[in-house]
Amino acid sequence: MAHVLEAKQIELHFGGLQVLAGIDFHVDEGEIVAVIGPNGAGKTSFMNCINGFYRPQGGQILFKGKDITRLPPYKIAAYGISRTFQNIELYTGLSTLDNLMAARHILLKRGAFWNFIYFGPTRREEVKHREVVEDIIDLLELESIRKSIVGQLPYGQRKRVELGRALATEPQLLLLDEPMTGMNVEEKEDMARFILDIAELKKIPMVLVEHDMEVVSDISDRAVVLDFGRKIAEGSPDEVKKNPDVIRAYLGAEEE
Amino acid sequence: MTADHLADKYQPPPLDPDVDTLPKWLRKHYQEHPDQVAMRDKDRGIWQRYTWREYYEKVKFFCLGLVSMGLERGDKISILGENKPEWYWAELAVQSAGGAAVGIFADCIPSEVKYYVEHSDSTFVVVHDQEQADKLLEIKDELPQVRRVIYWDEKGLWSYNDPILMSFDEVLELGRRYDRDHPGLFDELVDAGKGEDIAVICYTSGTTGLPKGAMLSQAYEVLSLTEWSKLDNWHRKGYEYLSFIPPAWSTEQALGISASLVAGTVVNFPEEPETVQENIREIGPEVLFYGAKLWESVNRIVQAKMIDSTYLRRLIYRTFLPVGLKVADMYIEGKRPALGWKLLYTLAYQAVFRSLRDRLGLSRVKVIYSAGGALSPEIIRYFKALGIEIKLFYGSTEMGIISNPRDGEIRPETSGRIVPWARVKISEEGEILVKSHFMYSGYYKNPEATRKKLDQEGWYCSDDFGHVDEHGHLIVIDRMEDLKPLAGGKKFSPQYAEVRLRFSPYIKDVLVVGGENRTFVSALVNIDIENMGRYAEANRIPYTTFTDLSQKPEVIEIIKQEIVKINQTLPEHARIRRFVNLHKEFDADEAELTRTRKLRRSFVEQKYGDLINALYGERDQIAVEAPITYQDGRTGVIKTEIKVNRIDE
Repeated sequence: MAHVLEAKQIELHFGGLQVLAGIDFHVDEGEIVAVIGPNGAGKTSFMNCINGFYRPQGGQILFKGKDITRLPPYKIAAYGISRTFQNIELYTGLSTLDNLMAARHILLKRGAFWNFIYFGPTRREEVKHREVVEDIIDLLELESIRKSIVGQLPYGQRKRVELGRALATEPQLLLLDEPMTGMNVEEKEDMARFILDIAELKKIPMVLVEHDMEVVSDISDRAVVLDFGRKIAEGSPDEVKKNPDVIRAYLGAEEE
Repeated sequence: MTADHLADKYQPPPLDPDVDTLPKWLRKHYQEHPDQVAMRDKDRGIWQRYTWREYYEKVKFFCLGLVSMGLERGDKISILGENKPEWYWAELAVQSAGGAAVGIFADCIPSEVKYYVEHSDSTFVVVHDQEQADKLLEIKDELPQVRRVIYWDEKGLWSYNDPILMSFDEVLELGRRYDRDHPGLFDELVDAGKGEDIAVICYTSGTTGLPKGAMLSQAYEVLSLTEWSKLDNWHRKGYEYLSFIPPAWSTEQALGISASLVAGTVVNFPEEPETVQENIREIGPEVLFYGAKLWESVNRIVQAKMIDSTYLRRLIYRTFLPVGLKVADMYIEGKRPALGWKLLYTLAYQAVFRSLRDRLGLSRVKVIYSAGGALSPEIIRYFKALGIEIKLFYGSTEMGIISNPRDGEIRPETSGRIVPWARVKISEEGEILVKSHFMYSGYYKNPEATRKKLDQEGWYCSDDFGHVDEHGHLIVIDRMEDLKPLAGGKKFSPQYAEVRLRFSPYIKDVLVVGGENRTFVSALVNIDIENMGRYAEANRIPYTTFTDLSQKPEVIEIIKQEIVKINQTLPEHARIRRFVNLHKEFDADEAELTRTRKLRRSFVEQKYGDLINALYGERDQIAVEAPITYQDGRTGVIKTEIKVNRIDE
């Protein structure tokens, strides 16, 4: 079976600093793959390569067979790769609803002129988008903050809105960069449930960068471990946890 | 024996055989005005309307679906979930088939759910969503009599394939097919219903012992609501009602389900429990029930918001609130305010109260109820100042409503006059004894307990301590068993002090204790983390957790001042001399509160027994270790030291 996403021999360096050294990576249909590793291992850099923020100096990234290695981020987003960020990136002055609606922009069929007139088919299109957004609000239980200004929401809820916005673009691959940092146990459990619900209902494959080993074991099908820009292990979360290299590099070392 | 407070010669209205059950009422609405709106449910951000035709058809097909799977007359089904139209449909469906509904609180843990389902012999369980379905799947092997678990919100259940699960829509589809094969069957089933059929079994919140299932008949639901809505003048006015108190509770059964059918209210369902405050503003209900705790919390929210507000707004609020309170006091004392006061009040109303009421979603309320726990007179007075008359009625699942303040006769410390259909007598010990035309039909499978509740002359023993004042108003002071002795034979009512302490924005909950060999009264305080946290932030008091904040000297001082204030209203012997700020909140998951959030006093006193003993000792610090239960059933332990605080006069 063809991989949804395949990265071959990704090389990335900033000047003399080697960030990623020959990473091979793939995601299959319906899979949740965790990328783990200590701080500075290159996890977020790797995500940035996938969605076009960084242009790797070597290697190739294929998404559904298409080469997306050196495409700008907006084109990659249009192909259906959507992501959330470690430090939340939302329109803080807009409401939850408007943030999600703004994400639908990428799927708008009509330009500014027709939207200005807002009549007939344009109007129907808006209603259709609103329906999709309402489904996401229901799925992620955002009803009570639908009209709240995002900048005033607590951190855990903003993370949820960000996930909602990523979903609103109807992605074919979701990149989640530390979706659970800074959350308490209960919020983490909620987030884990949402991620599993998305996988189950929408069958969207996901790449998940995460620190919390427990979360990784609970929700991911496969884990890839990075250390100093190298892939040191790959396998089921339980296998990976037992791998001596991983224990030395990551679990045995001081966290954070 | 003191006087028998007998109402006028009261004759209950005759039970019309055409509409002696709730399903017959539903059919009547369907026949007379099928296209009128019966209920609204906020879904996908929009208020979706259901007409009587839709209500009727959902009930009809759900009923036939259950019948096709073997439901028979007299069977029970349990319903477990939040307030949603499906709850109402499922309940009316089982009643249409001559069965009874059993309501279960949505936050019950699996072992509690098991008790209700098992004890009530429910053959079907209708659940809300994945959360509730999971509870049933966990215990289904211990419940062999349950044939199906039917869910109405499929979210998260997409890949469940347990054969016991079935969706609400599948049952409706079964019903549709069954109707084609058996036309007219539904009407026959409804026609077979009679007034004496049991409509619902409400498990009493069980402040003592295992919950008992109080059976309420169809005639009870139909007649008592007709009479109650007429008494308070909301019968058939098409008033809006917001359904959010748990339907497992007899109050929602009455004001929600029965009232919509019998008294013609329109029922509105909030989108989620978290959106109630927002949704209530959109609906602007005319009939409203807030539990005592909720009124307290609304009051706390207003106070806290005012502290955070701008200087000008605060100034306006502080200028006009006393006007409102002054006028409220005049009404409460039965005086008519002079013209000058009326003008001032109108000004205050336009300047502050009108928009405040709108913010709280209370701009259109006409009939406002509260019950299920004492309500501080201060709260009643406060809302009266805003022009909102809270009727703190007295009643219970078993007795129905017993006394109710009438319009213009609201006095903060009483529960109003006895309703026409009930009689009240006060026993020598001060217990309230009741006879009523509309009462429950006994406890399910427990005739022994049913008998025990009646004395030799057939009076129902309420277990409540109280008296009737010279105006004929009933004053309920406390549970009989909760009056507490002190050394020297004196008694005190812990609840009296607790209610007044809870009025402080900084106190969320409090337990006041004494004892036969103790010479003074003490208190265990739960600080209100939200307001106290805000105070700490404003005053630059750093804190980490609930426990840490509760033990800050500044925080202790605030609580102390609140207690000193209350102490002044108490007789010498009943004053609180020592208190601790507890390291954790009382929690329904640990059985410290009932599901309706009443403090389970005996249990809590026992649980914190060591701590209470230490309060009467000489130490200034107490080490505490509390096992805690999380909502999913896991347990943990917290260890810490808390301070004993003394109050000297």
